[in-house]
Amino acid sequence: MMRTQFALIQREFWEHRSIYVTPIVIGLVISLMSITGQVSISASEHVDTAILGMSNVSEEARATTVSVMMLVVFILFALAAAVLTIFYSLDSLYAERKDKSILFWRSVPVTDFETVLSKLLVALIVIPLVTFGAVMVTHLLVGVIMSIWLAIRGGDAWHLIWEAAPLAGNWTAMLAMLLGSALWLSPFVGWFLLVSGYSKRSPILLAFLPIIVLPLLERSFLGTQLLGNAIFVRSAQNPIFKDADTLSYMFKDDDLHSLAESGISLVSILDIGRFLGSPGLWLGLIVCGLFTTAAIYVRRYRDES
Amino acid sequence: MNSLVSARNVTKRFGELRAVDNVSFEIEKGRITGLIGPNGAGKTTLLKALLGLTDCDGDLSVMGLDPFRQRKELMQNISFIADVAVLPRWIRVAQLLDFMEAVHPRFSRGRANELLNRTSVRPSKKVRELSKGMVTQLHLSIITAIDAKLLVLDEPTLGLDILFRKDFYANLLEDYFDEERTILITTHQVEEIENLLTDVMFIDKGRLVLNAEMESLPEKYVELMTSGENAERARQLNPIFERDVFGKKVLTFEGISRDQLSGFGELRTPAIADLFVAKVKGAAA
Repeated sequence: MMRTQFALIQREFWEHRSIYVTPIVIGLVISLMSITGQVSISASEHVDTAILGMSNVSEEARATTVSVMMLVVFILFALAAAVLTIFYSLDSLYAERKDKSILFWRSVPVTDFETVLSKLLVALIVIPLVTFGAVMVTHLLVGVIMSIWLAIRGGDAWHLIWEAAPLAGNWTAMLAMLLGSALWLSPFVGWFLLVSGYSKRSPILLAFLPIIVLPLLERSFLGTQLLGNAIFVRSAQNPIFKDADTLSYMFKDDDLHSLAESGISLVSILDIGRFLGSPGLWLGLIVCGLFTTAAIYVRRYRDES
Repeated sequence: MNSLVSARNVTKRFGELRAVDNVSFEIEKGRITGLIGPNGAGKTTLLKALLGLTDCDGDLSVMGLDPFRQRKELMQNISFIADVAVLPRWIRVAQLLDFMEAVHPRFSRGRANELLNRTSVRPSKKVRELSKGMVTQLHLSIITAIDAKLLVLDEPTLGLDILFRKDFYANLLEDYFDEERTILITTHQVEEIENLLTDVMFIDKGRLVLNAEMESLPEKYVELMTSGENAERARQLNPIFERDVFGKKVLTFEGISRDQLSGFGELRTPAIADLFVAKVKGAAA
């Protein structure tokens, strides 16, 4: 079972190379941009003064600065992962039908359950993990590039970046955000898998049309907004993040000092307990499970001749 | 029960159409059965039902398993190739072997490599970079590297040149087949497999029109080549089919002894392809 599952997930990497190519490309682009960015900053005459100034601010302030830079990199990756997950899950059960290789895949002793499960695991666990790996490597690369630049300028990179950076805490928070978002949005992934397994052509259209049209119909005919809330509020609000009020004071003032003194780290904006205790999470996972079960049945009963 | 495959009143409906219509047969261990039928006769649907790829009505058992409900167990003991080349185009040959090794307990990588070494298929190539013939060679190598009790070949040599087709069937007999194994083949090139079959089944419009051992055919069926008055008299014996060959009449008889026909002209056992035409067209007439 484990060996089969491993082989199936490996197959997804072979078939959907974008799972790892996308984060690699983004990481390379960010690293390159950090080089060109530093070269262009170097043109400023105040740059050495700024480095000197940085050395004198409190450790908390430096930690916050580094954390914000890490967060910016992370957000780019997280957005890309979201887009990647949508396209991956919509393609995962469609591509094998389009190229007719499904007959081959079904000629080996692997159940439809195992196959569809591998695709669900890729969307919910593997893509977040690969993205997380790429985020870490990119953080380290950008850190090294900045350190080299600082060293050339005579700054103390160890003191300015590495000593201050709360790497472990920030990375833990980022991993939690990636996995937490994937699990929170899992009903969408389940829906996409079902559409991918069912659709004769253009799964994208079939996937998004009901998401947009059904809430509109509900609103005009029933006057309620249950579906609309379920879809759109869910996309926007994940209980893994503390309330917007708590978050806003992190960014209420762009003065670095007040930001630093509030003592905010990335871990402190998360509330894992509330996330795991949220009925919305478990209800969502059940909905995801129902859609996935339907996708398994469609693959099993559909005759592809 | 010594049957490897047992079908009783198997029917598969697509709406009003009965793609497979009340078909019953048994296939015993160690046989090579040819399933012959025109396009759209229900061959592929019947094979799909046997392979658990589609649900059907009636009792169908393959190696004592319900194919549709116990597909995973079944697939450990069956290997099959479908009529369209269906290997994923993006996969590398080496990746394909890795995958088979991981998911199939009876797949022998050594055997597959041995078979592939005889071809020009290289492990680093992607399927999309291979010619049509090479893709089929690859697929057949993988299929025959599985130590399966039942091998199902649906148009296995489609798109291959004649040299490869001859080699393929020769190797199938020499390297693969033994009394523990059973093979079920469908093909349009009947004459190429005629000599290796032990049994033959004809299917037309979803119905089984013939199911016989090859050895029994000369007793049951005879072809008479004749002309003129002899043809007229032979017609009294109710041939199932009649055709013209070079100005002569060829009449196919079922259940008529050779003695009865001996004075009328030249007698011989019909080739499978001719017998098929006689059974199908004769029934329609």
